[in-house]
Amino acid sequence: MTTNSEQKQMTPSSPSKPESRKDLTRNESWSVRRLATADWSSAVFALIVVLAVVGFFHPNFLAPGQLINVLQNSVYAALIAAGLVFLIPQNEIDLSVGGNYILTGVLAALMMRAGMNPMLAAAIALCAAMSVGLLNAFTSQLIGIPSLIGTLAMGWMLRGLALALANGTQVTGLPMFDPLFNILGGGKVASVPVSVILLVVVGIVLTIVMRNTPFGYRVRQIGSNADAAEFSGIPIKATRTAGFVLAAFMAGLAGIVALTFFTIGDPQSGGGIELFAVAGAVIGGTPLAGGRATVFGAIVGAVLLTAVAVGLVYFQIPATWAQFATGAVILGAVSVDGLVQRQRRISSEGE
Amino acid sequence: MASLEARGIRKAYGGVVALKGVDFEVQPGSVHALLGENGAGKSTLVKIMTGAVRADSGTLKLDGTEASFVNTANAVKHGVAVVAQELSLFPHLDILDNMFPMREPRMGPLINRQTMRELATPILEELGIDRPITTMVSELSLAERQLVEIAKALVASPRVLLLDEPTSALETGAADRLLKILRILRDRNVAVVFVSHILEEVMSLCDQVTVLRDGSVVLAGADVSKLSIHEIVDAMLGKTLEADCQRREPETPATDLNLPSSVVAPVAHDSGLNVSNVSSAAGLHAVSLKVKRGEVIGLSGLDGSGANALLRAVAGLAPINAGQITLPGGRPRPRNFRQAIASGVAFVSGDRRKLGLMLDKPIWENIVQVTAMGLAREGWFLRAEHLKKAAGALANMLGVRAASVNAPAGSLSGGNQQKVVVAKWLNARPSVILLDDPTRGVDVGARAEINGLLRKVAEEGAVVIYSSTDLEELANSCDRVYVFFRGEVCAELTGASLTPSALLEVMNTGAPILN
Repeated sequence: MTTNSEQKQMTPSSPSKPESRKDLTRNESWSVRRLATADWSSAVFALIVVLAVVGFFHPNFLAPGQLINVLQNSVYAALIAAGLVFLIPQNEIDLSVGGNYILTGVLAALMMRAGMNPMLAAAIALCAAMSVGLLNAFTSQLIGIPSLIGTLAMGWMLRGLALALANGTQVTGLPMFDPLFNILGGGKVASVPVSVILLVVVGIVLTIVMRNTPFGYRVRQIGSNADAAEFSGIPIKATRTAGFVLAAFMAGLAGIVALTFFTIGDPQSGGGIELFAVAGAVIGGTPLAGGRATVFGAIVGAVLLTAVAVGLVYFQIPATWAQFATGAVILGAVSVDGLVQRQRRISSEGE
Repeated sequence: MASLEARGIRKAYGGVVALKGVDFEVQPGSVHALLGENGAGKSTLVKIMTGAVRADSGTLKLDGTEASFVNTANAVKHGVAVVAQELSLFPHLDILDNMFPMREPRMGPLINRQTMRELATPILEELGIDRPITTMVSELSLAERQLVEIAKALVASPRVLLLDEPTSALETGAADRLLKILRILRDRNVAVVFVSHILEEVMSLCDQVTVLRDGSVVLAGADVSKLSIHEIVDAMLGKTLEADCQRREPETPATDLNLPSSVVAPVAHDSGLNVSNVSSAAGLHAVSLKVKRGEVIGLSGLDGSGANALLRAVAGLAPINAGQITLPGGRPRPRNFRQAIASGVAFVSGDRRKLGLMLDKPIWENIVQVTAMGLAREGWFLRAEHLKKAAGALANMLGVRAASVNAPAGSLSGGNQQKVVVAKWLNARPSVILLDDPTRGVDVGARAEINGLLRKVAEEGAVVIYSSTDLEELANSCDRVYVFFRGEVCAELTGASLTPSALLEVMNTGAPILN
């Protein structure tokens, strides 16, 4: 086939110059350059820099126990961010993931306290989380409310609902010795927390979904050019709906993992976790402009932000300044990434 | 002295050299054609001369003094205006607001719409834009937008005007008006650079011609009156291309294309595409036509006469009020576009930037998009290497010129982009191929290749329906042409009666030809 086409290109009836054509069936191999230009490369680079800088001044920070602690702390935001990368590239967003995260934990806690089997309670709470995703899809895709506003309002409703259901207090008295709490919350395999292992497994599964399924391709193509996507037969509303449900499921999953670790359902916790997750996804290489996405990058981004927050403690920055410092680091990281991307665009322009 | 002079212009994008030291000059009061195949470097040269892109080396001289433009606005200030190949209007602003981007006449800090109106109205009238100037650009047709784009360049009363394929989207009438205006400009001593693929226009309008091939000048400022179309085509292609009219002969270039015999979905014995008495809100009145498998059918007509509406109805993009549409294999009319694709309909749009391609995505992802993503026919687990191989084979077959299938589609020249769009639809193995002005902004060589390919696909049993504003092309590459007039089919031309002049007459008058 290949040789035939080459011959065909040499025939006089073909008006174009054969020597300027290349065989397009050949594959390009992996290279350092490709790794360095991957969407997530800046986030990984930034994470290494943060670890190196903090570790240089405070070597304790690099102790295995501390690093695992950072990872464990970042699991919740990382799970949420890994779900959001299925929405952001489609030019949609879900800001109700924070409220969903809290409500799912409180809901499961309330059912457990009422005596329900913890596994069953968790499953039901996850279903509730996904139905919130469906509701978000309904308001944005069928009613036509921009998801930025629709999910912002939904997030407030969910937080309010959690607060009301829990009567404004923490839900305690949970069956802490149930396997769900023992394994997912407190269990370790070779000193790695089970929740971190869960994050790795979920990350691998979602990466395959993103890179190797029609759904994953559709998610990225819709943000690239929605008109052309529709013209290729891609069902846009259905794909976006699936994105909302997946993001909501991941928020609920994060809520359940948090519940098993903290063993209380706290309606007042998790303030701003949705923005933390969005920032993690964007830093990780999933631009709000759409069209590109990386699950691995989103997880790295969330870990990076957690590492910054934990690292700041080492520098004895007063607690009153911690938020300011976190914001400054996010701004710096995104700016550097923006400059790098721009440089890359300029150098590849018109190629 | 030349109005605008370029000397030794070099430009490379990454490793690809677009211009290898090009000299070019245009005299005041003359129309200078700049020709070349897609990828020859015309657009790059135009961009450099108008400040959109910076040359790596070389100089620009304006009326003999060296000039360098920071950006296009700066070039306009110096009297160099451009009508770009890709439209650059703001759809959410009205016609008038689009006429003075960044140089609105002011009254103190405020924009003076009164002055704007006085300046713009005569030019809009001269170009024959009969819409109110408060019409939103988003409501205009492609052809009308192109006219507004031209008006926008003229309103700056430039000394040098560059037109990058200005007539590719224009109906014949509008194109004639533009040509008339160019003659007026020539009389006013404006230097005009005219980039076009339509050689008849070049012959009738231009004084000099410069031809680029692979980034070098192969014909510099030659006198058009001493050249034939044949000589120009030879210069563009660097070899003798048999005249276009050969395309309908059995020995067309198409037949030696290495098309795998399985490109088209096998459909059982049937009667092809059947449209009977279709009327629609989009303006169709009792339209009936039949297309057998293996035929290449043309649709022609003025803007809004129904050719485009019929394509949209067949593709399930627009509803119909009455009548029946039956796809090959007896399949019923698709209710929506997705269903249409699933039943074997392909739709190649001339608006490849908006509807055809994802410019930031690699070529291979664009080619496999309909099959692997849109219809999910390749299963739930996609292997990129496998898809790349399939896409690469199709791209090779269509002669897409690219460094690799991993290159973004936006890095290709116009003709190669359109080949990728065609490849994407052939990959879905369609039984009906609808084409809406597919060769807009595509050069002669690529046109011949695309048309040859369509013929081949038809021979394998597909129904090919081709709507175009290029009458020459319709006459040359179609078996029959249906001419639309005010929503009805007013004539069906075939055989000896199928000529560009006959098409032109029927589409403008609506009267069937008596012969």
